[in-house]
Amino acid sequence: MWARIVECMLGIWMLISPFIFRHPTSATAMWACDWIAGACLIVFSLASYWAPTRWGHWWLLLVGTAMLAFGRASASPPLHPGLQNDIFVGICVILIALVPNCASQPPQQWREYCGLKE
Amino acid sequence: MRRLNLKTAVARYDYNPSAWSQRVPICILAAVATIIAAYMALYQWRLVDSVWDPVFGDGTETVLDSKVAQTMDRWIGIPDAAFGAIAYLGDAVLGMAGSTRRWQFRPWIVILFGIDVIPLGIVSTVLVVLQGAVVGEWCFLCLVTAAISLILAYWAFDEVYVSLKYLYYVWKKTHRTATVWDAFRGYVTEAGLAAGDELVSEAR
Repeated sequence: MWARIVECMLGIWMLISPFIFRHPTSATAMWACDWIAGACLIVFSLASYWAPTRWGHWWLLLVGTAMLAFGRASASPPLHPGLQNDIFVGICVILIALVPNCASQPPQQWREYCGLKE
Repeated sequence: MRRLNLKTAVARYDYNPSAWSQRVPICILAAVATIIAAYMALYQWRLVDSVWDPVFGDGTETVLDSKVAQTMDRWIGIPDAAFGAIAYLGDAVLGMAGSTRRWQFRPWIVILFGIDVIPLGIVSTVLVVLQGAVVGEWCFLCLVTAAISLILAYWAFDEVYVSLKYLYYVWKKTHRTATVWDAFRGYVTEAGLAAGDELVSEAR
């Protein structure tokens, strides 16, 4: 589940990003983007630990895409460091969200088929 | 229920291309390239004042500040070296994900990994060489990462080949796109099991 832990840490990073990159207080959208993205990262990554919501991390593909789109589209380059952070972390999120739960094990269906233990 | 060997050699190789001993070196080398690219990105972000270049002096800085690099920054929104760092990070992350029989259990990861390593690696190498030719200055660390890209593409090829061949065998047995799609996303199928057996029997 290492990918879910990385996502959770990226979520914390997004929550503190507005302070690190000194978002202007007037730029509400930037604050909202970072905090919503951070909350989604933490919620969906932790939800993936619970069997009924183990697909949660796939939603992070959308979150990552939204972060990338927001960072790239909300101003013209050179971008504010906060927006570059949205792009950079957004692409990383898309990448990490692809990694399955328990990625080093065969998928569940194959585990059951081969009689492999968890 | 059948036992599938997670370590078996496969298709024209005398080893398992999805084994950790095959994948971990790729991930380590990709991680090295990530660090080098991130270091160059730090310069483009002006978080460091200069870049180490033992061969071309300030060639690296000239290339990293060139018009070509600036144009690419304007397209992507972040420095091109940062984008490169993410691409190498992708090689490492997708290289780590999956079991030691992922060529059959999760072909989609192997193929995404292959797309990141092989076509993207070759394109970025060509771009680096072109940049040297267009800008007229060479960048030592860019050349190092380009060389790493080529090594990674060479190392990754066997696994991608086996996964593609697996999907091809599934297609040959069924001629049904839906079954190939199921095999691609890692579902257990009759055709997939037969294709896997066939590939294992081809091992040297």
